[in-house]
Amino acid sequence: MRLWRVVLLVDLALALGVGAGYVWWGQQVRRLDGELRAARVAAATTAGGEREFHGVGVVRAGLTELGVVVITHGEIPGYMPPMTMGFRATSPKILDSVKPGDAVRFTLRGTPPNLAITAIDKTAP
Amino acid sequence: MGEVVGLLARWLHLSSSIVLVGGAAVLLLAGPSDRPTAQRWEAWILTACRVLVLLALAAGLLAVVHQTAVLEGSVAAALRPAAVARMLLQTQGGIVWLLRGGLLVLLAAFLTVRAEVRGRTDWRALRGQVVLLGAVALGLVAAAGHAAAVEPGAAAALAADVVHLVAGGVWVGGLPALALLLWLAGRRPGADARPYAVLAARRFSRMALALVGALLTSGLWSTWIQVASVAGLLGTRHGRLLLVKLVAFAGMLVLAALGRRMIPALAGDAAAVGRPAMRRLSHFVAAEAALALLVLAVVAAMTVTPPARHESPTWPLSYRLTLDNIVGAPDFQAQVLVGSQVAVLGLVALLASLVLRRLRLPVLAGGAVVLVIGLAVALPPLASDAYPTTYYRPGVPYQAASIADGMALFGEHCAVCHGSKAAGDGPAAGTLAKRPADLRAHHVALHTAGDIFWWITNGLPPMPAFGDRLDADARWHLINYLRALSAADAARLLGPSIEPETPWLAAPDFSFAVGPDYARSLKDYRGRKIVLLVLYTLPASYPRLVELSEAHGALSTLEVEIVAVPTSADPQAIRRLAGGPLILYPVATEGAREIVDTYRLFSPAPHAEFLIDRQGYLRAVVAAPGDARRDPNLLLAEVQRLNDEKVVPPPVEEHVH
Repeated sequence: MRLWRVVLLVDLALALGVGAGYVWWGQQVRRLDGELRAARVAAATTAGGEREFHGVGVVRAGLTELGVVVITHGEIPGYMPPMTMGFRATSPKILDSVKPGDAVRFTLRGTPPNLAITAIDKTAP
Repeated sequence: MGEVVGLLARWLHLSSSIVLVGGAAVLLLAGPSDRPTAQRWEAWILTACRVLVLLALAAGLLAVVHQTAVLEGSVAAALRPAAVARMLLQTQGGIVWLLRGGLLVLLAAFLTVRAEVRGRTDWRALRGQVVLLGAVALGLVAAAGHAAAVEPGAAAALAADVVHLVAGGVWVGGLPALALLLWLAGRRPGADARPYAVLAARRFSRMALALVGALLTSGLWSTWIQVASVAGLLGTRHGRLLLVKLVAFAGMLVLAALGRRMIPALAGDAAAVGRPAMRRLSHFVAAEAALALLVLAVVAAMTVTPPARHESPTWPLSYRLTLDNIVGAPDFQAQVLVGSQVAVLGLVALLASLVLRRLRLPVLAGGAVVLVIGLAVALPPLASDAYPTTYYRPGVPYQAASIADGMALFGEHCAVCHGSKAAGDGPAAGTLAKRPADLRAHHVALHTAGDIFWWITNGLPPMPAFGDRLDADARWHLINYLRALSAADAARLLGPSIEPETPWLAAPDFSFAVGPDYARSLKDYRGRKIVLLVLYTLPASYPRLVELSEAHGALSTLEVEIVAVPTSADPQAIRRLAGGPLILYPVATEGAREIVDTYRLFSPAPHAEFLIDRQGYLRAVVAAPGDARRDPNLLLAEVQRLNDEKVVPPPVEEHVH
């Protein structure tokens, strides 16, 4: 074979190889991203349905007639970013034990997204 | 010691890669020849290429090992294969090194394999292959350099770097090979190759012109990205290295221009005609190549120096030039205008002298004189005093916490003379020979933060130096307080309604917490939400808070976050709001003191509302001395106007200028 053909073939192979490597790399990254997301979703929804989460926050209001406590909370690991929202309480006693302005530590239990507060404790006066 | 090894390895690697590419490029450019001297030159070049590729690989390996030691933080780690493998496989720089190493090995294979070369096509393919592989390996250096870390616009920065490397590599690297050819042909026995050498020199000269153009363009672009300011150029190590590089480069250009003018003298077919000229040219090219090695050493040093845009420049001069001086000074404006026009005239004359054939010297001298006169007229009004710290970047961001600290420090150390409100009317002011400055005045904003830092640190008689009494952070707190004072003064122009499309006043950043574990700052809303900061005092503000709560849903839909801060900074603020209608927007229970201290500078009313746009600019201020109630629809209308704005300004700077 003539030398210039050899050179041309090597260059073509090189370009194809690097291009393929780049594409493969991109796919690998996308696959890993997908797996990570799937694993996160799985971690949040599996384990036999019943799950427990812990959070800290400050009580903003108690809606006795609805059985709901509104809490401004920090991140609830594995479940929710920081926000202000209402949580159902499993018993009226929970509602009675806290007042607006109380800093609290609370436990959520149930099958996401059907969670309710099972315990709540004041962390500071 | 380690630093020197790393620098040396990079310089050696870069130099050998460049001379390899350039040598092969000159060979390809000159073309095949049947003259014995030319063939001898080709053989020498090929041998040099083989040595250089090995050298580049070895130096590259050393640089990788050095980089590993830097990353792992110990010299011993560099000798552990696992650590080197981790650096190569798990960092972007490492992968680029691997790819380049592979290319160089392939290149070495092409250089060593003995293949039968039949005809010009084969010859061109083989030599072209050396240039191609070498140039790709060289261009890839950019992907592991500072350009790959530019955010945003890495692609443009990378492209500029690749062009710069390849163009510089071919031009600079071609010089030694050309010098060698000219020297060989300039000797008495080399007469056979003289026409070949002249041809090569001519082709190289033509190509070099284009390459230098590409070098200048891409170099300017990179400088714009990585240095970005005169202060960065003069005041940082990176910038000064760049200046050294530019001086050496200018020297190369002068030599190149002189060399170019000799090429016509080489014409003439007789073997003896061009000989002395050829030898002289070979000396010029060799000198150019020597300067190029200096440039490469500077380049190697620059690759391991943080780019100027990341550094705090130390200003080397006792003055600086700024257009701020002539704002609102019509006399100075006229002087600068006249002077600059005269200078432009001189510049035109200078440029014209380059083209003129007759009267060149008089025009040149006249142009220079006119230029100097023009500058002498135009520049003095622009000069301001400057200090080494003039362009320092503040160590502490412009934040409420810092401003509040600065305010306390001001009361303790400065208020005696400057007055508790910084008006220059403190109790001790009368005893001084010179009146203390009114720090609320507009002129304070004309000085850079670094100027004020210098005065606080070293004093400005009769003001004493505070450098030994206050640490650097404390001095920056004071400067942030001064900036807030000046901003608050300017904020008097802001009313309850926004001025569309004209954000100009940066809102000081602040952080707050609602209960435990929920700290966030104004900056977290950047680019996402409009913030309505409400400073309230109970009980007068209560009806307004309820009003806002009723509008909370509508405001949330319009992407507004309300942040309510009690002026009493009461940690029980949420409890005090309980019992009535629900108020569920964030109420700061922590960080309130600093926010109140800072924002009360902007409006001391018991109830004040600050509308801050998505980019962090303060756009409207509502101050309510009495009843704070106000039709919520007015607020919704202002928010709607903010949402309708089309121009997105750059986000506010976190630091004082």
